[in-house]
Amino acid sequence: MSADERNPAAVAQPVEDAQGDGRWMSQHTRFVLECKDGEPEVLFVGDSMIQLMQQFEMWRELFSPLHALNFGIGGDTTCNVLWRLQNGELENIRPNVVVLWVGTNNYQHTAEQVAGGILAIAQLLTSCLPKAKIVVLGLLPRGERPNPLRVKNAAVNEFLRSWLPRLGRAQFLDVGRDFVHSDGTIVPQDMFDFLHLTPLGYRKVAKPLSYLLHQMLDETPEERRASLV
Amino acid sequence: MSLHNRFVSDSKDKEPDVLFVGDSLVQLMHQFGIWRQLFSPLHALNFGVGGDATQHVLWRLSNGELDNIRPKVVVLWVGTNNHGHTPEQICEGIMAIIQVIKNKLPNANTLVLGLLPRGKLPNPLRERNAKVNLLVQEAVSTLPHASFFDVNPGFVASNGSISHQDMYDYLHLTPQGYQVVCQPLHAHIKSMLDKPAEN
Ligand SMILES: [Ca+2]
Repeated sequence: MSADERNPAAVAQPVEDAQGDGRWMSQHTRFVLECKDGEPEVLFVGDSMIQLMQQFEMWRELFSPLHALNFGIGGDTTCNVLWRLQNGELENIRPNVVVLWVGTNNYQHTAEQVAGGILAIAQLLTSCLPKAKIVVLGLLPRGERPNPLRVKNAAVNEFLRSWLPRLGRAQFLDVGRDFVHSDGTIVPQDMFDFLHLTPLGYRKVAKPLSYLLHQMLDETPEERRASLV
Repeated sequence: MSLHNRFVSDSKDKEPDVLFVGDSLVQLMHQFGIWRQLFSPLHALNFGVGGDATQHVLWRLSNGELDNIRPKVVVLWVGTNNHGHTPEQICEGIMAIIQVIKNKLPNANTLVLGLLPRGKLPNPLRERNAKVNLLVQEAVSTLPHASFFDVNPGFVASNGSISHQDMYDYLHLTPQGYQVVCQPLHAHIKSMLDKPAEN
C-alpha cells in the first residue's frame, strides 16, 4: 500500500474551528509568516509532541543552536499536517533536515492508513524540498497500561520501518524503547498524562535524535564547507 | 482514569498544604521550573488533567481525590474547556466544585483563579471567559470559604492580540507566561497560608 487518494489519513484537511477561537488557523498563519524571515537548517513538524518540545529547556539547549523552526500543533493528525505543508509552511524555506512526528492523534484510521498518511507527508516533503533529508520519529507507546492504542502505534512503526527506506532520503527513528517498564506500565515521570512527555521523557527522545541530526547536518556539503572556513 | 487513580493513591502518603486542581493549565504548570521554584516549597500537590471541564473536576473531587488529604488552600482553575456551556452554567459548575470542597474539607479555603483570555484575536470565547469571571467573582464574594483571584497580567495587547510568547498556542502558557501568572499567585497563596482564617 502507498500514500494514495483512497487513504483517508492521506487527505489534506484543515482543522475546523469547533471551539470558536480560531487558534489552529492563527498558529498556521504564524508558521507561514515565520517562513518568510527564518532560515532554518532543521524544521520540526507535527502534533503536540513536537509543539511541547519547544517549551522545555532541552529545546534551547539542543535544537535552537541547530537553527530549528518548530511547526507543531497540538491535536494534529496526518491530514492536518499535510494541509499545513501544502498551504504555505514550506514556502521560502530550505531546511536541510525535516523532523516529522505525527500520527498518534489519528483515532479514526487504521495503523496501515496512519502509516500511509505519514508516508504521504514524507513524499510531499521530498518533492517540495528536493535536498532535504527526512527523519520520521516512531510513534510512542501511550496509556499507563497495555492498551489497543499501544498495539496500533507499534504497528504504524512497523509499516514505516519497511516503507520509508524506499523513499531514499527518509529515515525512521525509533525513540520509544525506554518508556514501557517490564511490568508493562508507563510512569508519569516520563509521560505526565501517559501521552505527553515530561522534561525527563524528552531527554530520552532528544538524545538519539540530536545525535542523528548532528550526523545528518555534518554530511551536507554546505556544512562541511562552513566548518572548514 | 489512570491519572485520577494516580492522584487518589498519591494523596495517601502526602500531606499537602496547597492543592491545585483543574485542567491543562494546572497540569502543565507542574512540568515547568516555576512549580519547583514557587509551589513545591509550599507543599503543593497538582491534580490537573488536560481537557477537563467543570463536570470532570467535580467528579474527580467527589470520587476520592480529597479523601486522604487536608490542604489549607485549594487552588481551582477550570472552565475554559466547558465548550457548549453558557457563562452561567460554567459559574454554577465552579460553585458546585466549591461546595464539594467545602463538604469534604470544611476548614479549607478555595481560591478560584480567573479564566484567561484565549485565541490570538478577539473571539466569543474570550467574552465568555470574561463573563464567567464576573459571575464567579460575585458568587464567591458572599462565601467565607472561597475567593476569586484574577491571574491575567494583561495578556491582551492594545491591538487586541495575544502573543505566542505568552501562550504558545493562544491557550496554554509558555514558561514566560507562567512566570507572570505565578509570581503574584504565589504571594497571594502565601498570605492565605499565613492568615488562613481571614477571607
Ligand atoms: Ca469570599
